[in-house]
Amino acid sequence: MNETYYFIEYFKQSPPIIQVAWIFSAVFSVFIIPLIIYLNYLRWHLRKNEIVVAKYQAEYEQALVHYLYSGNEEEEISSEQQLIIDKLKKCILTPFKRKIVISTLLKLKNEISGEVAQSIEKLYCQSGLIDYTLPKLTSKKWYTLAKGIRELRQFQVKEAHDQVAKHINHPRRQVRKEMQLYMVNLFYFEGLDFLNVLKTPLSEWDQIQLLEVLQRFDNQKIPNITSWLNSSNDSVVVFVLKLAKIYNQFEQKEVLIDMLNHKNKDIVVEVISVLCHLEVFEAKEVLKNTFEQRTQEEQIAIFKLMENLYEINDEPFLLDYIYHENFEIKVSALKILKSINSYKFNFLKSSSSESEFLQIAHFIENN
Amino acid sequence: MDKSTEIILISIIHYLFFVYTIAAIGSYIILAFISAIETKEYMRKNSFVNYKEILASTISPSISIIAPAYNESLNIVENVRSLLSSYYVNYDVIIVNDGSTDNSLEQLIEAYDLIPVEYLINEQILTKPLRNGVFKSTNPAFEKLIVVDKENGGKADALNLGLNISTHKYVACIDVDCLLLEESLQKMIKPFLEATDAKVIAAGGVIRISNSCLVKGGKLHDVNFPSKWLEKGQILEYLRAFLLGRMAWSRLNGLLVISGAFGLFDKKIAIKVGGYDTKTVGEDMEIVVRMRGYMEEQNIKYKVAYIPDPLCWTEAPDNYKTFISQRNRWTRGTIETLRRHRKIGFNPKYNSLGLLSYPYWFFFERMAPIIEVAGIIYFGILIALNHIRWDYSLAFILLAYLFTVLFSIVAIITEELTYHQYKKKGTGKHLVMIAFLEPFVNHPFILYAAIRGNIDYYFNKNKKWGAMTRKGMNKA
Repeated sequence: MNETYYFIEYFKQSPPIIQVAWIFSAVFSVFIIPLIIYLNYLRWHLRKNEIVVAKYQAEYEQALVHYLYSGNEEEEISSEQQLIIDKLKKCILTPFKRKIVISTLLKLKNEISGEVAQSIEKLYCQSGLIDYTLPKLTSKKWYTLAKGIRELRQFQVKEAHDQVAKHINHPRRQVRKEMQLYMVNLFYFEGLDFLNVLKTPLSEWDQIQLLEVLQRFDNQKIPNITSWLNSSNDSVVVFVLKLAKIYNQFEQKEVLIDMLNHKNKDIVVEVISVLCHLEVFEAKEVLKNTFEQRTQEEQIAIFKLMENLYEINDEPFLLDYIYHENFEIKVSALKILKSINSYKFNFLKSSSSESEFLQIAHFIENN
Repeated sequence: MDKSTEIILISIIHYLFFVYTIAAIGSYIILAFISAIETKEYMRKNSFVNYKEILASTISPSISIIAPAYNESLNIVENVRSLLSSYYVNYDVIIVNDGSTDNSLEQLIEAYDLIPVEYLINEQILTKPLRNGVFKSTNPAFEKLIVVDKENGGKADALNLGLNISTHKYVACIDVDCLLLEESLQKMIKPFLEATDAKVIAAGGVIRISNSCLVKGGKLHDVNFPSKWLEKGQILEYLRAFLLGRMAWSRLNGLLVISGAFGLFDKKIAIKVGGYDTKTVGEDMEIVVRMRGYMEEQNIKYKVAYIPDPLCWTEAPDNYKTFISQRNRWTRGTIETLRRHRKIGFNPKYNSLGLLSYPYWFFFERMAPIIEVAGIIYFGILIALNHIRWDYSLAFILLAYLFTVLFSIVAIITEELTYHQYKKKGTGKHLVMIAFLEPFVNHPFILYAAIRGNIDYYFNKNKKWGAMTRKGMNKA
């Protein structure tokens, strides 16, 4: 009792900074002990969880494989299959097991294709898993919503189209991305209709993913892209330019030439790259005439185009740029010159004394 | 000096130390909270990413991995194999042999069937000249590999030559002895491709310590916890720095440093600012500060991103001599960078860079060891003058110690909740133990190295990089 009294008195008589130091030390001590206990529990729990998940996964995988190969032609669902569906229905009542069932279904779906994969998609609906997913589409939490859309895409649930489409301009980019992937995965090129109303930017990451999905389909006939090329959303324009390049949209050449005057210079660089790929010679004259008014990025892109589309009458234009201050332009100009007039190239090489020029010329000569 | 003046003076000193301690603790607590928010957000966002889709894409942007090497013959063949095993499609590996005096180049030539080739280099940054030239492999399996042999000019000079050689849009600057995980490039490039409202100029990744880990065919096979206290202490230190510190600075867009061991840069901006500074030993921090300063001056919205996934594993010093030399260099690098860019500090023209990041680094990184040593000296003076109040001293020491332990345990818990890399039974006990012992096992040496770094910076200007003796990773 006296000791407690002594400590209280000591504390009261200490200067404020010492009081604060003691208070903080006591608080930290109080936190440290439970945190160590929690850390021990956490490590134990993580280890145990891994074992339990592996056990359930093996069990469900066995049941699902059995389901896939126990069907018959007479009935839509055989009695054996019905037993497995009933078992799954019970399992998915708890979120923990539901998560494992879904991951097992996805694992199997990724390993197989064709009719068997479709059976898994059917099972997803028959087992009632879809009933847990659809309400997620109205969730206010972005990650719940995004998870819901992703699951519907993974199990090819086309019926949710209208509910998913509502989220085209969702403020969270993860939700928008899942919506876009849902549309393109399930409705192929028709799914790209969201581009008509997309107000937010489509990042390069999103664009690459969408293009990768589109290239997987058998039907590679793409819709008319003219309206998207004129979109007020610049990221949509950049994305569609990539489409034009991959799908060789030569019929868009007039629109593309008009776009050389686009206000966004990054788009102009992309347009030049597409025109180069499509080998639109008409574009070259337009670009040569406006060369001096363009940014350096555009000028470099023009020379890349010319490397692909050069003609003998380009020589006077090229001679103006073989001593250009930009390394890439200089290299391109000399490369093309060597191809169209090797005599002139050799003459320039022998008459020059500039070391960088000679280095470039020497390299071009040998490669 | 009369008695009352002496008392007032002592009180002022006490309050200054106290305010600094509370400010440091407060800033760490705030950063830890911000880190928790950012980590949760990152994990959620990342759960929606399918890296497999991007890695196979031929339209993904191109990256050059630049790895300078100086006398790395012990591991060079294995390390290059690791760099060549990335899952990313559009990339090449540029090994810059920076005037090695060992047989690194010969080993590479033999292992990868290299032959000299003619190569056109756009010398946008001035570097030391080539020695034996540029080499490429005759084996199509190693077509992504470019080896450049140049005269010795230091790490920064070698990286600059890599920047000149690279023809790609992005460059990943790494230490050649680092072990990159296969999906590292996809994860690092993501912030650059995702950004729509600000330009990402650089991205840094987490560095993990590979001492005692098992490596098979250039890949990390098994994560083990090392046995030496020094190595254990460094693991804990890295966990704290990367999971609780940099994660928060990433959210605040205030990262000043990207570890030289692994960072991805927008090549155009890196070249525009003149590449790496060859006159500093802290070139990794210096280039980031310079790039940020440039973006602020140009008034361009930008971001320095940070990826918390354990993507890069590196060998840490396993003896005190190397450890002190490394930390000495880090200290000199910090001082050099902060001094060189002092116009940024406390300057509202540089926004949060000048008003938040720079002041934080100045007060809590640059000044911390000096203030700590000043405190120890002051403590000694008080003992000598018999002015010491042992109960007061105990209160201060306990406060600092318990906070360090608490912070370390929070870092360990964060690691368990996120990446859970140290899975083996018993490791948890070791981690907790090192949380209690690290202030005695590592910290005094860090403090000593920092003070030596200050002395060397001001009085031994010729001191450059210390040597790092490599043991090599455990190979299966």
